[in-house]
Amino acid sequence: MVRFTPLILLAVCPSLLAASVDFNRDVKPIFEAHCAGCHGAEKHKSDYRLDSREVALAGGESGNAAIVPGKPEAGSLIHFVDGSDKELFMPPRKSDAKPLNAAQVETLKMWIAEGANWSESSVKITANAADVTEHWSFQPLKRPSVPGSEANAIDAFIHAKLRERGLSSSPEAERRTLIRRVSFDLIGLPPTAEEVDAFCADKDPKAYEKLVDHLLASPRYGERWARHWLDVVHYGETHGYDKDKQRNNAWPYRDYVIRAFNEDKPYARFVQEQIAGDVLFPDTVDGITALGFIAAGPWDFIGHSEVPETKTDGKIARHLDRDDMVSNTINTFQSVTVHCAQCHDHKFDPIKQEDYYALQADFAALDRADKAYFADAALTKRYAMIQFEKRQLDARIKTLDEEATKAAGDKLVKLDQRIDTATKSLKGNGSPAFGYHSAISPIQDAVKWVQVDLGKSMDIDKIVLLPAYDDFGGIGAGFGFPLRFKVEVSDDPEFRQGAALVWKRHDQTFMRDFTNPGIVPFTTGGAKGDFHARYVRVTATKLAPRKNDFILALAELQVLDEAGKNLALDKEVTAQDSIEAGPRWAKANLVDGHAPVQPDAGAGDIASLRAQRAKLLLESLAEPKRKQRTDATEELKRVTAELGKFPKPQMVYAGIVHYGTGAFSGTGPNGGKPRTITVLGRGDVKRPGKEVLPGSLSFLSPLPSRFDLKPDADEGERRAALARWLSDERNPLTWRSIVNRMWQYHFGRGIVETPNDFGKMGSLPTHPELLDWLAVWFRDDAKGSLKVLHKLIVTSEAYRQTSVPDSALMKGASEIDGSNTLLWRQNRRRLEAEAIRDSILLAAGKLDLTMGGPSFQDFVITHPEHSPHYEYQLSDPEDAKIQRRSIYRFIVRSQQQPWLATMDCADPSMLVERRNQTITPLQALAQMNNQLALAMAKHFAERVTNPTSDPAAQISAAFRIALQRTPSDAERDDLVHYAKQHGLANACRLVLNLNEFVFID
Amino acid sequence: MNSPFHRSTTPSTMNRRDFLWQSGGGLGGIALAALMGTEQARAGELPSILSGKLHHPPRAKRVVQLFMAGAASHLDLFDFKPELVKRHGQPSDFGEAVEAFQNGLGPWKKPVWDFQSHGQSGKMLGEVVADLGSVVDEIAWIHNLVGKTGVHSQGTLLQSTGFNRPGFPSAGSWVSYGLGSMNDNLPAYVVLPDHRGLASNGTKNWDAAFLPAQHQGTVIYPGSETPIVDLFPDAKRGDFITSASEREGGALLARLNATHAATRLGDERLDARIRSYELAAKMQLAAPEALDISKESAATKAMYGIRDDVKDWPKTINAEEEMDIFGRKCLAARRLLERGVRFVQIWSGNDNGFPRRNWDSHEDVERDHGPLARGFARGASALIRDLKQRGLLEDTIILWTTEFGRMPSSQGGGKGRDHNPYVFTNWLCGGGIKGGTTAGESDQWGYKPLDRSNPTTCYDIHATILHQLGIDHTKLTYRSNGIDRRLTDVHGHVIKELIA
Repeated sequence: MVRFTPLILLAVCPSLLAASVDFNRDVKPIFEAHCAGCHGAEKHKSDYRLDSREVALAGGESGNAAIVPGKPEAGSLIHFVDGSDKELFMPPRKSDAKPLNAAQVETLKMWIAEGANWSESSVKITANAADVTEHWSFQPLKRPSVPGSEANAIDAFIHAKLRERGLSSSPEAERRTLIRRVSFDLIGLPPTAEEVDAFCADKDPKAYEKLVDHLLASPRYGERWARHWLDVVHYGETHGYDKDKQRNNAWPYRDYVIRAFNEDKPYARFVQEQIAGDVLFPDTVDGITALGFIAAGPWDFIGHSEVPETKTDGKIARHLDRDDMVSNTINTFQSVTVHCAQCHDHKFDPIKQEDYYALQADFAALDRADKAYFADAALTKRYAMIQFEKRQLDARIKTLDEEATKAAGDKLVKLDQRIDTATKSLKGNGSPAFGYHSAISPIQDAVKWVQVDLGKSMDIDKIVLLPAYDDFGGIGAGFGFPLRFKVEVSDDPEFRQGAALVWKRHDQTFMRDFTNPGIVPFTTGGAKGDFHARYVRVTATKLAPRKNDFILALAELQVLDEAGKNLALDKEVTAQDSIEAGPRWAKANLVDGHAPVQPDAGAGDIASLRAQRAKLLLESLAEPKRKQRTDATEELKRVTAELGKFPKPQMVYAGIVHYGTGAFSGTGPNGGKPRTITVLGRGDVKRPGKEVLPGSLSFLSPLPSRFDLKPDADEGERRAALARWLSDERNPLTWRSIVNRMWQYHFGRGIVETPNDFGKMGSLPTHPELLDWLAVWFRDDAKGSLKVLHKLIVTSEAYRQTSVPDSALMKGASEIDGSNTLLWRQNRRRLEAEAIRDSILLAAGKLDLTMGGPSFQDFVITHPEHSPHYEYQLSDPEDAKIQRRSIYRFIVRSQQQPWLATMDCADPSMLVERRNQTITPLQALAQMNNQLALAMAKHFAERVTNPTSDPAAQISAAFRIALQRTPSDAERDDLVHYAKQHGLANACRLVLNLNEFVFID
Repeated sequence: MNSPFHRSTTPSTMNRRDFLWQSGGGLGGIALAALMGTEQARAGELPSILSGKLHHPPRAKRVVQLFMAGAASHLDLFDFKPELVKRHGQPSDFGEAVEAFQNGLGPWKKPVWDFQSHGQSGKMLGEVVADLGSVVDEIAWIHNLVGKTGVHSQGTLLQSTGFNRPGFPSAGSWVSYGLGSMNDNLPAYVVLPDHRGLASNGTKNWDAAFLPAQHQGTVIYPGSETPIVDLFPDAKRGDFITSASEREGGALLARLNATHAATRLGDERLDARIRSYELAAKMQLAAPEALDISKESAATKAMYGIRDDVKDWPKTINAEEEMDIFGRKCLAARRLLERGVRFVQIWSGNDNGFPRRNWDSHEDVERDHGPLARGFARGASALIRDLKQRGLLEDTIILWTTEFGRMPSSQGGGKGRDHNPYVFTNWLCGGGIKGGTTAGESDQWGYKPLDRSNPTTCYDIHATILHQLGIDHTKLTYRSNGIDRRLTDVHGHVIKELIA
């Protein structure tokens, strides 16, 4: 807090007042701390403002001069602040701002006496009060002393607060409640009835501790807590925005998070890997997959892929993209709302607008794209190195060739013309008869067929479709080749009977279209004489697009026997329809033996021309460049061969330097050089200001606000610096933030109720000393181990106490602390959407606990070619693939899973610090009627029917499975009666809808 | 500290006040509060609007938002430019460099349809929307709307939520949050999407975002087999369910839950969940009734362009079918509004694909705008007339909007027009809006606002609508990630000229 030194000196050392007063150094901070809340750039109460010298002097609506330069006593300002004006005192006593102290008044007087000099006529003075750095969360971490001798320090802090208010804790919850609570908390699933029985019967004083250890060691633990983390970082598996395309390689990040929790990765490392794992831990898979963090949020596909960075809309898209990266980072790890400083200095917290853009600079080289990696980190490294080498080579060759092109001059131009002519002659049709062309359809899904009559039944081995060529609409090769089609043979010309399917690549349920083959022939597999028929028919079920309409066209249909003879040549062709636009398009052209020239035919000429071209280029270069060029060619051959030897890499969607083309080129083509980042006036890309260097928040002394990097430092060094900055043990926000998040998920509310906002607008901690103690203890004693932290929390009395104390305690405590902020009891909590879904699957005996890998999709995608439609209603609840834990669900941004969304699951477009908990009729409808819930109710009923036919035993079994207790007699009798009337499935459906099923005491 | 900044308004662990707040407003919230006799508990620290006290006397109670997805051309429908007719085919000169979304601005292009004046106000309308002529004097025009970018997703979000990135509540969600429902049995906010699919951003356009989930728009497909998802059990999956099992099951569930709650006193959520099942059962009765148009008169149906006589429509897009489709949605909207729904959002057009089934007419305005325009114009004019004859127009606002406009020049010399985020049209009617007026003109080409320094933004439109509903747009806020968020961000002015 170096900036306050002058004032402090002034206060203690009046003799220094003789020195002249500097406006920026001495006066502005006073205005900012005490006045600007009402009279700054934002607000001008009574028309008075201190950010304009003119108004500051002239005064506000009263019309009296506020400041008369040279005469401190003449203007009204001094009288307002020193108390000599009996009617008006500034700042108002009921405001937040503190009155000026005597030294500050003296400073102002001195300044006015010296002429009230301003640095400029207008200065930026906002309510960015000078003392906001004194806010609790920005203070360095110190370990508070524990206020008691309780075995668990948490209890000492909790009890101390309760005692202050004359309250005490509630007794420990009974064991069934406890095991249900801690199981859902730690692994997101209920215990089995048998586990409950065993725990209830366990006399070992360490029974609970053993249970906790067992749960923390379960792989289910990582699955449970990864979901909390993915809420915070807004992880999704589609881009969002327009089109909402899938990200099929996002899941390795999700698996990384699960693994990190299960392996109990130290928190500092967890932070570092997600920001700069590739730089700091280059030899690890985690160091790469963790970068999925940077890319977790939404991405504007159209704004990037169709609009280049040179256009305003393209700049906006990229600015919003970096904004998302910065917000995700700082909200997640620092719990402050940095995005507020995008347009101006933060209104409430000491976050400068420049800090915000310094953070953008940390990510300035990045885009979101797939990154290749291998399970073997050494391989990843080698692959990256060779790719790097290849890119270097490509660039070197490009430079040399540019030089050679200039030198080669006219000769090269002529040669290129010859190559062009030769290429053109190769393209297209060798004959004016192109082939068969259907009538034009306005819709793509129209069915069209064309068939050939072989004259009599013959043995057929394979069928070849030769694509047509037509430059119409700029389409060229593969013109009219259907996107989905089938090939059938039959002896019935109508194909009503005896039709055999030779090939059907794309039926209606198969979602992928056939990619245009160019003029490469499509051949069905050898049938080995299995097919014996007279007619061969090709039926298109999805037509090829033409300009704004759709067609089926083929150059040639060959029906081959085992000897390779074309049985279809010159036979009769019939079709559903045909445009018959001779000579190019006619049915007969389908079997006339003419098709577009094969790619290899005549390629010899072109190859020799190309060789001449390469030779010419080479000869145009002088030594030593000529040799360099030859070497580069050899090198490129070697490198390409080497890349070819690698197995297929795995991919993760991550924040990386992107090597793209067209509008979405990324920074790769510029060698990964970070984009220049400037302050943007009011966040407007059309108002760039001064350039900002990489850094972070500037108010967490002694942490640096700007990173000490060389100007030519690799972009990775920026992220590495940020990662170190975030995980620095002196960073008070990092450690307070994470322990508070963990606390929240165990108690339903954080010690700070706003886990993403520890700033002035956020809540104050209910137990500040406990929060600091936990932060320091977690950092130093637990060495950043989340599992150790969990254990401390869940073994505390505070955690284990009942949520249902006896009515006397309840009544008394409710009057003093109705919202239970002091934790005189545990909070009852509703299960999250995913825990409800998983519990229903578990009860039905259907939950598949397979871990990791690509996400299951509980929807069907229709219209994948433009904007995929995610149709949840078409998902089959009996499909075993979707019966996995909800953490493995494919998360769509534009269309959330309706049932889970109704149940308040996290919206992947938002940073979800904490889920809403609503109770609505739409939830009731969903839990009663959702297809999966209905299907599982039936399976649940089957599960309890199998071992016994006694209705009472069946109901008891259902209770034990779903609620881990036996029903009371009344409950059992009621449900048995109901099951007799309406069937056990209905009774089981009710059990899955009980309050007790979704609330944890 | 007792600074006003330290008041926590984030939805919190369920204490009584928070719970009621979260339940408040939307479907069932009012009823829940009433049930528990706790209306007074909702006052106190809460914004007064949530306790039923509005900021000022309202002129309107309900809103209909007609959203034309894909960017409808102001120039071919509502904003007549004689200059374009005169200069049709001449090379376009905008007097400045224009950054078009897809490069290649062709010559000036006159409106595809002829314009004629209508009503007392003499408003010029394109022939394709001539059906609006019968209600033109009810409508107020804003021809100088501006957007932020020419990207569909951003433009659509901006109009639907006031922000050009995802993560913010839609206007309907804010209205639901602010005013709540007028009916226990139906959602406060209903969305009637295009039957072919969702527009850019999908459900984000009616998202509740950080507002409690019940303020999300409830999607209804009137006339379809399952108009509301999960309203009833699926016949196949729920083949074990009968009306008797439902009835008796509901009673038994309530009894079992009551036993559970009896040993856990003081937790309103448990009672609320019991009540939510009762309300769900009520909704199962109310929703089908609200959507059943079989008892509507033939004349009414004809007015809306509904054709019960046509069973098989042609496979290609055509105006009659579009009228039938849009008309059914408008009629459903009227029935929902009559039954207390606050906000109905109706969509015309789905995502961007080929053939075009939305308003993104890069290739051919006449072909692609034609059927959609005739379709919406018939339905919308019928809705306005119908609301008026039932006395509902005076307190129902209708807003017509789209993500941006289209360029006054052709795209690459063809039949289409490129995006124009620099100016486009909105119109409003009903709910105390002054009909027959125009607030804000575009320039001679319909390229940018006539007065470039005073454009209208979506914030102004939203502020005006909230104003008519009795809400000061600067005071309807919700704390999210450290900021008191508003529908109008930090912008917005009530457009006084529009208010009758």
